[in-house]
Amino acid sequence: MKHFLGKNRLGIALLLLVSFASCTTTTIDEFRQGETGIENHESVVILGRRQASDYETRSEFVECVGERMTRGENSISIVPEQEFVDAMFPWFEPRTAPLRTRDLERLMTESVVSQRMTEFGVRYIVWLDGFTETTDRSGSISCTIGPGGGGCFGFGSWEDDANFDARVWDVGSLTNVGTISTDATGQSYLPAFIIPIPLIARVEANACSRLATQLKDFVNGS
Amino acid sequence: MRRVNGSMRGRVRTALIFVGALYLTGCGVSNVVIEGSFPTPNINKLPLNVAVYYDPALTEFAYIEYSETGSEEYNIASGQSHIELFSTVLPAMFDGVVVVSSIEEAEALGVDAIFAPIIEEFQLALPAKTKLDVYEIWIKYNMRLMTADGDYIADWVLTSYGKSPNESLRSAEAAINAAAIVALRDLASSFSLSFSQVPEVKDWLNTL
Repeated sequence: MKHFLGKNRLGIALLLLVSFASCTTTTIDEFRQGETGIENHESVVILGRRQASDYETRSEFVECVGERMTRGENSISIVPEQEFVDAMFPWFEPRTAPLRTRDLERLMTESVVSQRMTEFGVRYIVWLDGFTETTDRSGSISCTIGPGGGGCFGFGSWEDDANFDARVWDVGSLTNVGTISTDATGQSYLPAFIIPIPLIARVEANACSRLATQLKDFVNGS
Repeated sequence: MRRVNGSMRGRVRTALIFVGALYLTGCGVSNVVIEGSFPTPNINKLPLNVAVYYDPALTEFAYIEYSETGSEEYNIASGQSHIELFSTVLPAMFDGVVVVSSIEEAEALGVDAIFAPIIEEFQLALPAKTKLDVYEIWIKYNMRLMTADGDYIADWVLTSYGKSPNESLRSAEAAINAAAIVALRDLASSFSLSFSQVPEVKDWLNTL
């Protein structure tokens, strides 16, 4: 019985730790400017904006959103970012990529670009722009090692804030059909009692998941 | 006793070598050879036969970044990656491209133009120094275009820029390589798209 109680206590403690770790708040904001919809033979390409001087949209985040959009009901065909950028070279490099739909219109007059776009069956271009910032670091952990063994003691915590915007361009009408913004925040903890136990808030993963679901619905027109 | 002394001396020597090796590993220069692949540009070819001369200053180009204490921190060799880049870009820009080992050899071939690129300046910005979360690379080039007789056509400056995010599970060497590849792609895109817009080149193309 004692053994059972002990096991239960450990389970509750673990559950509490996990609930602490998964403490993330995500806000999604959608702004629709035009009608959307996609046929089975059409696809979407998600590209990261890399024009800012002090940060760049991580390709892993772009990949994550794309991968999640290909899953589940109403899944969408996604053209991998690197494959698209390489096939379009040199028109979608950080310095040459279109910044406005007017630039895309001009770019589509290049026969090579419009031909490649048709080959990929691209109906929508989604521009992802943003980054995850770590703020409010506090606490300290010290580790020691000696002949008898070693260990770490202390407590650390920090907050992660992921802010991403997704602008959706319709390649058919060469217009901006909407913008979806996502803001996810979460507190991570690192208590250390002999060994450090990281309780990480999955801020970027949550932002990716929620943004992908919203984008999928947006593109499908639902 | 002698045997014990010898054994002790051996151990001390091994320990000293180990500590010395650790010291050298910690303080030595990190060699980075830029490696990557480059896509072929989707652009219209110009009806020109061009000879390319790679100066040893380009093929053997290496940049050394010094730490704040003045010791060599990174040795970045990017000469070969530039040759690979030009070998992909130039055949997509011109009808005929031939690599020559000297300007004289190009003059004997009777080509329309001789192209000779050179790196003038290379800069590396590390997150530890800029306090930004990115590795950055700037490269300044001098592009020279000459007639088959070696006469001047155009001589213009081109800059390229590349950055790569600082990631916890990636080495500084890998991040520098990634930033350099972005810079080289930037060079390829701006060079291939702006070549015929360079005023002197434009004037020369109109005379053909």
